[in-house]
Amino acid sequence: MTQRITIDPITRLEGHGKIEIFLTPEGDVANTYFQIPELRGFERFCVGRPVEEMPLLTNRICGVCPEAHHMAAAKAADAVYHVNPPRTAKMLRELLYSAFYVTDHATHFYALGGPDFVMGPDAPVAERNILGVIHKVGLEIGGKVIAARKAGHTVVEIIGGRKVHPCTSIPGGMTKGITEDQRKEILEMGKWAVEFGQFSLKIFNDIVLGNKAYVDLILGDIYTHRTYYMGTVDENNHVNFYDGKVRVVDPDGKEFVKYSPNEYTQHIAEHVEPWTYLKFPYLKNVGWKGFTDGKDSGVYMATPLSRLNAADGMATPLAQAEYERFYGTLGGKPVHQRLATHWARLIELLYAAERWVELASDPEVASPNFHTVPTATPTEGVGIVEAPRGTLTHHYTTDERGVLTKVNLIVGTTNNYAPISMSINKAATSLIKKGTVVTEPMLNMVEMAFRAYDPCFGCATHSLPGQMPLEITIRNSDGEVMEMLKRG
Amino acid sequence: MKTIVIGLGNPILGDDGVGWKVAQEVQRVVETDARYFMPIRPLGTKTVQHVSPIEVDCVALGGLSLMERMVGYQRAILVDSMETGQNPIGSVKVFALEELPNPSASHSTAAHDTSLLTALEVGRKMKLNVPDSVTVVAIEAKNVYDFSEELSPAVAEAVPVAYEAVMNLLKSPEGVI
Repeated sequence: MTQRITIDPITRLEGHGKIEIFLTPEGDVANTYFQIPELRGFERFCVGRPVEEMPLLTNRICGVCPEAHHMAAAKAADAVYHVNPPRTAKMLRELLYSAFYVTDHATHFYALGGPDFVMGPDAPVAERNILGVIHKVGLEIGGKVIAARKAGHTVVEIIGGRKVHPCTSIPGGMTKGITEDQRKEILEMGKWAVEFGQFSLKIFNDIVLGNKAYVDLILGDIYTHRTYYMGTVDENNHVNFYDGKVRVVDPDGKEFVKYSPNEYTQHIAEHVEPWTYLKFPYLKNVGWKGFTDGKDSGVYMATPLSRLNAADGMATPLAQAEYERFYGTLGGKPVHQRLATHWARLIELLYAAERWVELASDPEVASPNFHTVPTATPTEGVGIVEAPRGTLTHHYTTDERGVLTKVNLIVGTTNNYAPISMSINKAATSLIKKGTVVTEPMLNMVEMAFRAYDPCFGCATHSLPGQMPLEITIRNSDGEVMEMLKRG
Repeated sequence: MKTIVIGLGNPILGDDGVGWKVAQEVQRVVETDARYFMPIRPLGTKTVQHVSPIEVDCVALGGLSLMERMVGYQRAILVDSMETGQNPIGSVKVFALEELPNPSASHSTAAHDTSLLTALEVGRKMKLNVPDSVTVVAIEAKNVYDFSEELSPAVAEAVPVAYEAVMNLLKSPEGVI
């Protein structure tokens, strides 16, 4: 008799979903399915609206990374209007975006991914959260996390016009600039953020890298896949979150392709499976070979780890030093171990903080030259940014008045649907064997495979800041439910 | 006592936007009706101003961010859609946050970071001035998967009911009926 396991919910993730684990009559894992209900009708909702509404509308898709949608939408709208925003506008956008990255990555590490390491993967559920982290590491850490979030929110509000859901990016640049005093205020907060980034890496170093069991867990085969890696790079092939070309490296770390945003349809295709509404993007020029890794499979990953793998380095000195230590410690590039994503995320946090300081140090960011009035007839455009959870692509087509006729989005997490499914399968297959009793810590270790990606199906599917009611169900070969994990 | 009324949800996702619609109705009244105003003399001034001690906001937040939005208020009232599948569509429930029947059924839990209850506890540990009392007014919703600015009819009919529930809470000092 086969068993089936359902995990519900994956307690620290966004959106809705379900993991189903089917067991063989002997009790080994036969197959796993990761399913997400789809949000419907976004394109229909947008068609007929002016394209300049998109930076406001799309940041309503998701409560977690509205800043990313705001940026991708603004860049796509620039492209639709064939307008190149002035340098100050680009700096303001990237500055806002860098501050957002610091808060988002910090929240993930301390509230979402970190508890598995700080408290331990098998700690009681009630302690495996941010409160547990504060209790164990000290009150000071909670204060720092709250302060980092506050600094990031303040920058978003100063530049973006309001907290969380910015509203100042329009085709051709920004609706407003910042004053010299505001620039100085932002700069001071950025300097603090750099220290916070270093502090966070030190915690990771002491608690995770200082514990052999965790290092073995990270380097173990359970959480390893040799796939292609995607990330946006600048002209020096350094990681950039706001602008550049999308670079993909193969499982050996060699550049496979580097493309401009408007070329994405030549490189990315989407595979459909009958058991889920969400599509699986893959590299068109490698092809879909199923849920498998290796050079012949078009499966790619787009996460902090993949951005580091896809780049030649970081554009700022402290982050570059950490980048070198990362690859030095983990045995060279690329790193295939998914749990190393948590470390990569903190290196990105430090880079974002340094970039924040860099941009706020340049007096031109406070220049009044923050908008170029578009004069060309609008047509079609693609905007790409790196969302914290992966490469985010917005593609709009309009009529000659700038009214939308077609909208296509590939959101951050969707890129990772195939590799997440593979990681869940591998973790479940490695951990659940015939004769073993399935325990909560075991299922949490399946969830950890998933959590490393920081998946947010908020925009891929359900756009709420709500909990992800994700079940893990174990079913037998007859499809009967043997066990169901529910939390919350 | 400073109170904040927060409409939660996504205004472009059908019934998910019901919390915003209710909160906007509340806002229209408490910000204009002098009966809700209180005499307040700001520190360092001699002039007494008549302002509402009730603030209303509409947000799409959860967890830590939602907790951060509540800092500085002694009482919070959340208006939110809820999908329990156990109540008729459009039914309105009022309860204390601690009694939330199913944390995964409403927005107050942001699974990206932590639940609102845990976030509030973090806030208290950090000595942030977060509310002692959080009351939830929840409306059973139906269509939260299709992009739309419209509510389904049964949920639209619940807007005045939920509005009354919030106004009753604002009259009671404890914040719970």
